Amino acid sequence: MESSDSQGKLNHMVGTMEPNDVPAAEGATGQKDTSPVDMLRIKQQMSNQCFEMAVQLNAEKNKRSCSTSEAERDLPEYIGELERVKTLHFNSTLTLHRMQMWHAIGEKLNWSDSEADALKAISDRCMGLCSHIKHLQQESKKLQDEVTEIQKNRLEMKRLTHEKIKHMEESSRKEYPDMEKYKAALEKGQANLEKYKKMAIMTQNVLRGILLACKVNWLDDPKLRDIAMTLEEFPISE
Amino acid sequence: MSLLKPFSKLPGLNTANILLVESEEQFQQSLADVLVEETSVTVNVRLAKSLPLPMENDESRPRIDLVVFIINLTSELSLQSAEASLKYLDPGYFLGKVCFMVTNARNASAPAERLDAVRKLAASLHCPLLFAENQTPDGVASATERLLTILKVAAGLVPIATALYVSNLTRCTLPLDIDQPSFD
Repeated sequence: MESSDSQGKLNHMVGTMEPNDVPAAEGATGQKDTSPVDMLRIKQQMSNQCFEMAVQLNAEKNKRSCSTSEAERDLPEYIGELERVKTLHFNSTLTLHRMQMWHAIGEKLNWSDSEADALKAISDRCMGLCSHIKHLQQESKKLQDEVTEIQKNRLEMKRLTHEKIKHMEESSRKEYPDMEKYKAALEKGQANLEKYKKMAIMTQNVLRGILLACKVNWLDDPKLRDIAMTLEEFPISE
Repeated sequence: MSLLKPFSKLPGLNTANILLVESEEQFQQSLADVLVEETSVTVNVRLAKSLPLPMENDESRPRIDLVVFIINLTSELSLQSAEASLKYLDPGYFLGKVCFMVTNARNASAPAERLDAVRKLAASLHCPLLFAENQTPDGVASATERLLTILKVAAGLVPIATALYVSNLTRCTLPLDIDQPSFD
């Protein structure tokens, strides 16, 4: 009841405020007079306040019992819905304003006076800039495509390199069964070599012994000297 | 019971009225000094230590658009006084016309549980929670700016927004791990 009372009072006040507003403002602040913009702002403020009070009144009317958890659950949906509607409304208002502006500009251009010439010059410049922008955008798109192409190629190269490396690793590992055979053959050969080396050393030792025992002068005889020189090649071993 | 009601008086033309409630009565003074410097709107600042407000100036008091509770995190008394004052506020205020402002949140002597308690309080009442730094003039200026933003909406001075709508966007929310111990 209080709120409706205050609403009624407000309507009455606003009705009587209008004619008194200008002198009241002047009286209050002295030099400042309320411009139309200020009046519009104040009117907007008042309509906002009235809206809030109307919301309160409606809330009182539509009271129904529901639990807080239910209300909490529904709240985000309602907020989302509200925001969607507000954005839609805002965008439509913007579109409407744009249309109105363009209509006004079009009308103005049709009159062909000095301002219209200025407008025409500006709009020509705008068109020039827009085509320039389009041109640049196409170029940048082309360059971007080229960059993407090069990146794709690089990636392909990387992939191939990886594959080759994997192949190499695999093939280096594959020698293993053959390698065992080679190793075995190598060891056998080395064993043989050791055996023959021992035999050669033994024969050399025997020949050395014979030469020493015979007390023969091998320096003078060329054939004996050659044989004696070769006896030094292998070390004396047990 | 002397409840403070949001819609029992007529709104002022091109004015916004704000009530700062603080039990220490320090920060509200510096905030008030900066708030009244706003030029585009006439801002009337009323200061109070706690609610309920005295009955004597009930007639001359204008309609309050925004009630701000200033809580100092270093004193337990501040929080208790704010909680006690909440009872004297009409429920209509909690639809976007109440705001909590917290000072000294970075002070080491403020226990983390108190900040959590304030957060839970603000979240349960669907009110915004602002943090302010009251020692430097820069801090006071930035706190004033934020308060003014909310105040202008609450006073209806912003064309498309109402206090209730904005409160849905600015309300304090609790982080999911508020009941778990923190790292310090």
